[in-house]
Amino acid sequence: MKTIILFCGLLLVLGCKRESSAPPISAATNQTYAVRGVVQAIPPDHRHATIKHEKIPGYMEAMTMDFSVRDTNALARLAPGDEITFTLVVTADDDWIENVQLVGKSGVTGPPGWHVAEPELAAGDLLPDAEFTSELGQEIHFSDFRGRAVAFTFFFTSCPLPEYCPRMNKNFFEARKILLADSNAPANWQLLSISFDSAVDQPLVLASYAGIYRGLNPAHWLFAVASTNTLAALAPKLDLNVWRENGGLSHNLRTVVLDAGGKIFKQFDGNDWTPAQLAEAIRAAGK
Amino acid sequence: MPAAPDTRTATAQRKDEKFFLLIVIALALAAGVGSWFAAAALSRRDQFHGLAPDKERMLGDFSLTNEIGRTATRADFDGKILVVSFLFTSCSLTCPEVSKRMAEIQRLIANDAGVQLLSLTVDPRTDTPPVLAKWGARFGADPNRWHFLTGKKAALHGLIAQSFLAQDHGDPFNSMPGNFTGTERIAVVDKHGRVRIYFDGLRNETPAAVVAEIGKLRGEK
Repeated sequence: MKTIILFCGLLLVLGCKRESSAPPISAATNQTYAVRGVVQAIPPDHRHATIKHEKIPGYMEAMTMDFSVRDTNALARLAPGDEITFTLVVTADDDWIENVQLVGKSGVTGPPGWHVAEPELAAGDLLPDAEFTSELGQEIHFSDFRGRAVAFTFFFTSCPLPEYCPRMNKNFFEARKILLADSNAPANWQLLSISFDSAVDQPLVLASYAGIYRGLNPAHWLFAVASTNTLAALAPKLDLNVWRENGGLSHNLRTVVLDAGGKIFKQFDGNDWTPAQLAEAIRAAGK
Repeated sequence: MPAAPDTRTATAQRKDEKFFLLIVIALALAAGVGSWFAAAALSRRDQFHGLAPDKERMLGDFSLTNEIGRTATRADFDGKILVVSFLFTSCSLTCPEVSKRMAEIQRLIANDAGVQLLSLTVDPRTDTPPVLAKWGARFGADPNRWHFLTGKKAALHGLIAQSFLAQDHGDPFNSMPGNFTGTERIAVVDKHGRVRIYFDGLRNETPAAVVAEIGKLRGEK
């Protein structure tokens, strides 16, 4: 009851605020749009399709993008180049297409008008293997750790912002402490801190930086560096963004937990997650 | 001693010469300083003419989500003059500087209800509404005047590519996410959705230049 009163109060406050606010922002509601487009690609799982669509008045300009379907049969008889009409359903937190109809074959799958971002991976997807150089100067791969849950994050040693790289490694330190202290936790897990600054973060630099966070106990935690090629292949899969701007390095934060088979178990975006959450995910992924 | 008057004349002459020289130097200095000022003023004006769009660019249709999680569509901003910037909150050098200029513009147009500030993220998976709200608070964003928009990456990148910035598909790590170039710019969009001009969001003079441009656009039908 208290919650309901609180909620009503909140509505009132929001209502007042809205009246006085200058730009009217439409409330989130379910909306449907009739769309026409040409199929560009359909992945084998038939869960989504890349469609070059015409302008969706009131919603989006003409462009090429990925749409998901709820009914995988909806895409069963379609192929790249097919002209289709469909209904785009948009809810507050999801969107999908339905009522897909084949209306013709244009045969045109030409290059889209703009660069379509490579689709990133989701939980359950196998992460393609990648090669790194470890703090010991050895070549290592994600696949070297099969059979273990692997949590990895990205950093660079000269990263100055406390809430960025240092926070990631501090969280790894705390998560490791939780797992090491838990006698019921499985032993098949590995932490990997990966630098994307191959120009500076050579093995010796990594090893001494690792000591700051790891102390004298290297158990379950390795530091490594990714080459530019490794990074270029890996970054789009994880929606990892690295920008070498004016001699500095700007990057977003991606922390990923792989299961024992190398599939993505869970992803932590940004820095708003706790060591306990990471430890919990590692425990679950190792099972 | 006949030499005395000569000496006196010579001294007087030298004094005259000295005086003349001083005047010449003073004049030259005045002219030099004056023209330097004039040149500086001219070049300053040139620099703040801003940059015209590379082609005709119109604000495209969009349906995105703002920093408090509400849907924001193009129709919400119809008839407004828009000041638009680009960011991702993990960006440590360029984006905070540009947001500082946006905050200054917000302050300068505080009484102009016909103007709306928008910042579009290029990294929407990281920049969720709460993350953008936090960024906005850091720069004193007024929730009535300055919105931060996030949403589907394809929709945001498509909108930016179509309406605002060119892309460069060279080195993937040499530009902001989405491979956009000119992400430090602040764009001014007129009441009809035409992108009119860009200013360098890293320059201190930009807020005043944007406000001057808004003054011009406000007078248009």
